[in-house]
Amino acid sequence: MLANFNFRIIFEYLPLFLTGLKYTFIIAIVSLALALIVGIIACACRISGIKVLKYPAIAYIEIIRSTPLLVQIYFFYFGLPTLGITVPEIQTGIFALMLNSGAYIAEIIRAGINSVDAGQIEAGHASGLNYIQRMRFIILPQALGVTIPPLLGQAIVLVKDTALLSLISVMELTRSGQTMTSERFMPSEAFLTVAFFYMVIYFCLKPLADWSQKKLIFREAY
Amino acid sequence: MMSFYFGRLVEIFPFFLTGLWMTVKIAFLSLIICTILGFILGMMRASHNIFLKRIIGFYVAFARGTPFVVQIFIVFFIFPEWGLQLDAFPAAIVAMAIMGSAFVCEIVASGISSISKGQWEAAASSGLSKLQQLRLVIVPQSLKVIVPPLVGQYVLLIKDTSVVSVIGVTELTRVGWVTVIRIPEGLMVFALVGILYFMISYPLILLSNYLEKKMTV
Amino acid sequence: MIEFKGVNKWFGKLHVLNDVNLMVQKGEVLVICGPSGSGKSTLIRCVNRLEPIQKGEIIVNGMSVHKSSTNLTKLREEIGFIFQQFHLYPHMTVLQNIMLAPVNVKKITKAEAEKIAREKLERVGLAEKADAHPIQLSGGQQQRVAIARGLAMSPEIMLFDEPTSALDPEMIGEVLDVMVDLATEGITMCVVTHEMGFAKKVADRVLFMDEGKIIEIGKPADFFDNPQTERAADFISKILTH
Ligand SMILES: Nc1ncnc2c1ncn2[C@@H]1O[C@H](COP(=O)(O)OP(=O)(O)OP(=O)(O)O)[C@@H](O)[C@H]1O
Ligand SMILES: [Mg+2]
Repeated sequence: MLANFNFRIIFEYLPLFLTGLKYTFIIAIVSLALALIVGIIACACRISGIKVLKYPAIAYIEIIRSTPLLVQIYFFYFGLPTLGITVPEIQTGIFALMLNSGAYIAEIIRAGINSVDAGQIEAGHASGLNYIQRMRFIILPQALGVTIPPLLGQAIVLVKDTALLSLISVMELTRSGQTMTSERFMPSEAFLTVAFFYMVIYFCLKPLADWSQKKLIFREAY
Repeated sequence: MMSFYFGRLVEIFPFFLTGLWMTVKIAFLSLIICTILGFILGMMRASHNIFLKRIIGFYVAFARGTPFVVQIFIVFFIFPEWGLQLDAFPAAIVAMAIMGSAFVCEIVASGISSISKGQWEAAASSGLSKLQQLRLVIVPQSLKVIVPPLVGQYVLLIKDTSVVSVIGVTELTRVGWVTVIRIPEGLMVFALVGILYFMISYPLILLSNYLEKKMTV
Repeated sequence: MIEFKGVNKWFGKLHVLNDVNLMVQKGEVLVICGPSGSGKSTLIRCVNRLEPIQKGEIIVNGMSVHKSSTNLTKLREEIGFIFQQFHLYPHMTVLQNIMLAPVNVKKITKAEAEKIAREKLERVGLAEKADAHPIQLSGGQQQRVAIARGLAMSPEIMLFDEPTSALDPEMIGEVLDVMVDLATEGITMCVVTHEMGFAKKVADRVLFMDEGKIIEIGKPADFFDNPQTERAADFISKILTH
């Protein structure tokens, strides 16, 4: 089935794929960084116990988790212009990815914090540490290790999610495949090459996630 | 202006309901297929056949490592070149099945591996065949570990059905996309689409949370 | 009944069974003892092929255990295995635990299997626990259920791997009583245990192994009162003073 696979055309389009790959990287990294900030803030609000912060945070997280990313992307892509905001598609896309991943990251961090043994927190109380001090010296250091594997998992998801920006004409990896398909109509060459590049990224990130998970289990064994 | 469009939106609301119905159909069908296939693959992964393990491992890596939209393009545009021509709806189901069963397979396999070796040995010692060991002893126990993340996975899969709109299946997201061209109120149109997804997903999220709590105690 | 012919087994570089030759007669009760890591568990786990071997042959009732043409199901039907950690199925009731193999391996009817299961439960003195789940039972009770589960297949051979080591001292007696019962009824038994009282009472022979080798084998009286090797003497003095 790959007998008449046309490698020449792939080489011809290689610069296009590499540009796409570059944008996929940039979008993923920028979105991840922003999502971390959003996630930390959302999580902090959610566990703050202050109603005006907590309920909006819960609403944000639950709405994001209950609706498809593609709908969120379209919401901003078609919605922002009606508010008179016109920004390049790539910025709209990053904004949507940031909000989307931010909600999942908030939950990952919250789960990490919840995983810290109640006895630890009581010990903190007992030795007279205040809320901030307990967070800083007892809870966060222990929660951090637990959150790393799922955060890497979220990074893997985020890389794949960037592909949806192709649907609002952002020139990333998947879009380069679409472009080649529409110009030459060689979908096999186009999309298998695209898939190949995603697999390369996956095989870089997945072992990292697995490794951090193993380290964690190892640590918990004590 | 806003209220004018709102009126139009109310008028064409039945169109959204057809889209929602299509989304439910795709989700329901593909979840069933994913569950069955995923369990079979997950159980095969627990076998000692290295060759089988490798193949399934690669399949899972492909399904998890590439974006779903790329997988849909592969099914819809490349399968025909390999002699498998599919209409949009069956192509959507096939793509969902390929992607979803890999995720279910992983959940099932890790559930199975959470069961101690002693249970396998006890079952084997009493003469049960490998398949019986799995079916009667191992899988029933591992359901406790499998079901909560499985329900969580269902939510993700339901949301992923939105991506099949790219090959022209008129489900909920596609309805929004078609509508927004006629009624240029993106926020309103996709808020409506979002609300309809929310109505399906959120109960399942609550169920998943509940199961998670219940199973851990 | 059970015959080991030049059996050798390695775990990687570790030589766990070193040229084992052994013959266990029908109806015999063999107690196996030896220091930790000497290969006792491995020895009996090979008998029902929970472990593969690399060299030699084990023959049970005329079946060559590790030959790929051997019907594993039939072999295991004839051998009951009792684990140190019981390994009852936690998702089933006691009765279901016992009925599982008769129904699914022997393919007898549920009604018949239930009759057998209740009989065996009666025999281990736990008739009233039929509908309990394993976690509701004490360790001693769980082990007795495990024995009933093994007996439900009417095996000719029962293998025990330290059946009482995971139990609180006050529960050891109830399990040993059941085993003594079995021993006097003529089931062939291989028991890995350090319960020397049990060995003296019912064992036909005691086998002492160390570093994968059979060091001594003989009648309990001879073995305990008059060990032939220093290693065995050393071991006996340790467990008796223990
Ligand atoms: N699956 C395995 N893989 C590698 N080594 C093993 C395995 N099982 C057992 N061993 C090793 O083989 C040796 C013999 O093990 P075995 O369990 O038969 O000893 P044992 O006499 O039953 O000891 P114990 O009294 O501690 O139960 C030990 O050194 C053990 O560490
Ligand atoms: Mg042992």
